[in-house]
Amino acid sequence: MSPLELVAALFATSVMAGGAGAILGLGGGILLIPVLTLFFGIDLHYAMGASIVSVIATSSGAAAAYLRTSLSNVRIGLFLVVSTVSGALVGAALAGVVPTRLLQLLLGLALAYSTVTTLRQLRVELPEQTEADPLALRFGLEGTYYDAALDRDVKYRATHVRLGFGAMFGAGLLSGLLGIGSGAFKVLAMDHFMRLPMKVSTATSNFMIGITSAASAGIYFARGDIHPLLAAPVAVGVLAGAVLGTRLMSRLRNTTIRKAFLPVLGWLAVSMILRGLGIGLP
Amino acid sequence: MSEPVAVERIIARILTFGGLFSIALVLGGLVVWAAEGQPQAREIVRVVHNREAGRAVDVFTSLSDVRRAIVQRPPDPLAVTALGLVCLLVTPVVGVAAAAVAFWRAGDRDYVAISSIVLAMLVLSFALAAGG
Repeated sequence: MSPLELVAALFATSVMAGGAGAILGLGGGILLIPVLTLFFGIDLHYAMGASIVSVIATSSGAAAAYLRTSLSNVRIGLFLVVSTVSGALVGAALAGVVPTRLLQLLLGLALAYSTVTTLRQLRVELPEQTEADPLALRFGLEGTYYDAALDRDVKYRATHVRLGFGAMFGAGLLSGLLGIGSGAFKVLAMDHFMRLPMKVSTATSNFMIGITSAASAGIYFARGDIHPLLAAPVAVGVLAGAVLGTRLMSRLRNTTIRKAFLPVLGWLAVSMILRGLGIGLP
Repeated sequence: MSEPVAVERIIARILTFGGLFSIALVLGGLVVWAAEGQPQAREIVRVVHNREAGRAVDVFTSLSDVRRAIVQRPPDPLAVTALGLVCLLVTPVVGVAAAAVAFWRAGDRDYVAISSIVLAMLVLSFALAAGG
């Protein structure tokens, strides 16, 4: 494959990764890294560098659109980012000290449990509003968005804020310790614990992943993992895909997004359990 | 709560402008690189440094690398692409800084504090990256 053909193939792959990432609240690393390493034979370091660029490009493209339509909630995003980034900093400091494989195994089992609970909630379009959480009231963790699929305004307010905040710290801690992206965990914490509508969870995750990834982007750049010829078509493709993805997402039902999210959760659970057992995956 | 809408609009504008500006640089560099017949890196110091570190010769590892490759004659088109990627990577940080200012203007002290904490942690992360 000539360099120009590689650039074109990377662009096409990235459009799809950006579209999926924008809808599911993920940075696209979970999709891009295996494709770049297995299909294109790209060195894992450059694939991870391209992946961090992809996360920020998805976030910039998708979050800009979701903020305008009030699907991304800035207050909830910033409130939870404090927890995620501090978890990531602690995780990075503890890396090499704690037993990684045991953690991966425990995380895999927790994700497998989440996959089962998500399966049970597949038909839930909007979460039932329970009594107000004092922290949600104190920090204004609520909002309204127009749901094009339901053709009405949807009001929501976060519940179990402490639990969600703790889960976000755990997500950041694991991402710092294990070097994995945490988009899926963010969606899970907002959807499961804080009982936010699935669309708000994925759109707010899109806003958050850009910030949390920026925290580690400097490391990748200084290490020389961001190869311009690989990262450039990924950035352009992912941004274009993310813009297309946001247009599609606003028309989808929450249940459809949850169904699309389920295989990602299942894959994460399996890959973490296998890694915990010492069986390597890309 | 009318203030957050304004905050969201400001952050959305920054993310859009940052994304488009970065992509313009990324694409501009890439197009010139393709039009020039896909030249290899021409800056000897960086090429030698990268080869010694076992990296691809086209890679940039610091802003001074990027700056040198842009100001040299003829400029390295991939340095313009790398500058675009750097702009993309810092866009979310600028978004958080703008959020802090927007919340301050709206008189929302809680979220000025929260945005500032996030910003401080990002700066700490960059400092740790530079040190590590």
